[in-house]
Amino acid sequence: MNASDSDEDSYNERTALVPAEAPALPSYTPAPDPDPPNQTTAKRPAASRQAGPVAGDSGSGGHGDSAGSSGRGSDQDADADEEELTLKYGAKHVIMLFIPVTLCMVVVVATIKSVSFYSEKTDQQLIYTPFTENTASVGRRLLNSVLNTIIMISVIVVMTVFLVVLYKYRCYKFIHGWLILSSLMLLFWFSFMYLGEVFKTYNVAVDYPTVAVVIWNFGGVGMICIHWKGPLALQQAYLILISALMALVFIKYLPEWSAWVILGAISVYDLVAVLSPKGPLRMLVETAQERNEPIFPALIYSSAMMWTVGMASPADAQRSGHETDEEAEQSGRGAEPESRQPRPFTDSELEEDRGVKLGLGDFIFYSVLVGKAAATGGDWNTTLACFVAILIGLCLTLLLLAIFKKALPALPISITFGLVFYFSTDFLVQPFMDNLAANQFYI
Amino acid sequence: MNLERLPNEEKLSLCRKYYLGGFAFLPFLWLVNVVWFFKEAFVKPVYSEQLQIKTYVKRSALGLLLWVTVLTTWITIFQHYRAEWGEVGDYLSFTIPLGIP
Repeated sequence: MNASDSDEDSYNERTALVPAEAPALPSYTPAPDPDPPNQTTAKRPAASRQAGPVAGDSGSGGHGDSAGSSGRGSDQDADADEEELTLKYGAKHVIMLFIPVTLCMVVVVATIKSVSFYSEKTDQQLIYTPFTENTASVGRRLLNSVLNTIIMISVIVVMTVFLVVLYKYRCYKFIHGWLILSSLMLLFWFSFMYLGEVFKTYNVAVDYPTVAVVIWNFGGVGMICIHWKGPLALQQAYLILISALMALVFIKYLPEWSAWVILGAISVYDLVAVLSPKGPLRMLVETAQERNEPIFPALIYSSAMMWTVGMASPADAQRSGHETDEEAEQSGRGAEPESRQPRPFTDSELEEDRGVKLGLGDFIFYSVLVGKAAATGGDWNTTLACFVAILIGLCLTLLLLAIFKKALPALPISITFGLVFYFSTDFLVQPFMDNLAANQFYI
Repeated sequence: MNLERLPNEEKLSLCRKYYLGGFAFLPFLWLVNVVWFFKEAFVKPVYSEQLQIKTYVKRSALGLLLWVTVLTTWITIFQHYRAEWGEVGDYLSFTIPLGIP
């Protein structure tokens, strides 16, 4: 099977998604917001990268009650309340994101460890990494991996910019179509491959009709849940699964050294794209905020459903959520707090459905890092170390989000920690532990 | 998507669409329908659209049961007789196990 073509397509779409998302949203907390800062900015958890348009709205991020009471209370009380609420919500969001990120990584690691297909080295490479790593000298190999990275990152940059341009000029249909094609490919083709490999690993006979029914159901319900309406838990589950599938494809088809260099380069790109004023992701988020539209709900993992009283309909939120894959990926990469804006006139129905949003691209790259560690690292020490590193990075990112209240890139801190832990564990801790065990020396 | 927030007509419409969608060889959709709307149909206090939602949930459950029976039967038959069917068995197989049974 020529994997390049299919991979390429999905890769196109996925990389678009993956690239760092969430440019920092300066206007996340509405600057000219007339409401007293107590009720608006303070309440809003800063953790979200994707400052969705909803998030950008004023509205107390915090409970409606608090908003009311803080408005009435003294400034100092309100401040203290806000701080507390921010931190409390920040902590809750961290937990809310730990679970999906962990689940995604668990799926990837379990697959890598059991299905040998995904860790077999193949000569087939993605078209985005044309330089081979089977070279004689170390220097040549290093050069090839750097060149591969440059090509990959440029592809990502180009697609991101393309996406932002499309979004700016309101080519929603194109974006929509692209997104649907991309998720179709993931939900049907990749899961078909995955299922085939799992069956081969466990040596069971399966017939075509059964497989057809299973894949059709899985993909069909997935499309409905992600792109239309469905139970939130199921949608989250599907997003986690497609992120895991994508990560597995990356792990299989990216050459060894290139993968690590790409991980590093993409964190840097994420940082730049999200935080710099002309960064494509930042522009994307700002545009979305101006237009008061949510950003690509289909490609962002959201831990709670947004429900803005006063929004036209839930369908709107989801429709506009389908932004191009790239955007989704990009937005996926940001972590974004979602806050509901209670409308002043519906006090009785105020709902604080705070959630945090994290871009799918972040899921994918976290899983790629842990998966690679599981596939090529020493043993479970390395895998666990990378896992812990990524979670710590995520905590820190969310903490920063709570402090800065802007869209932030979720990749850099986690990936840096992950890389550091991987290399140090593999080359320092592993031999150390082995020696200790071999010599029966317990510390 | 939180069902709590939807007005009743929309709940009914959603349930109906899921029910109709299941006819496209999507028993999983029926399963989702049953699980998702179970509380709405059987646990919540009565409201006007509830009766219709109940019908849809019941029919989805029925359709799901039918599909499960058909699939289980087919899989059992296939697993049992695959080796004996020879060529046809291989033609139908997506993956063929290695080794000697």
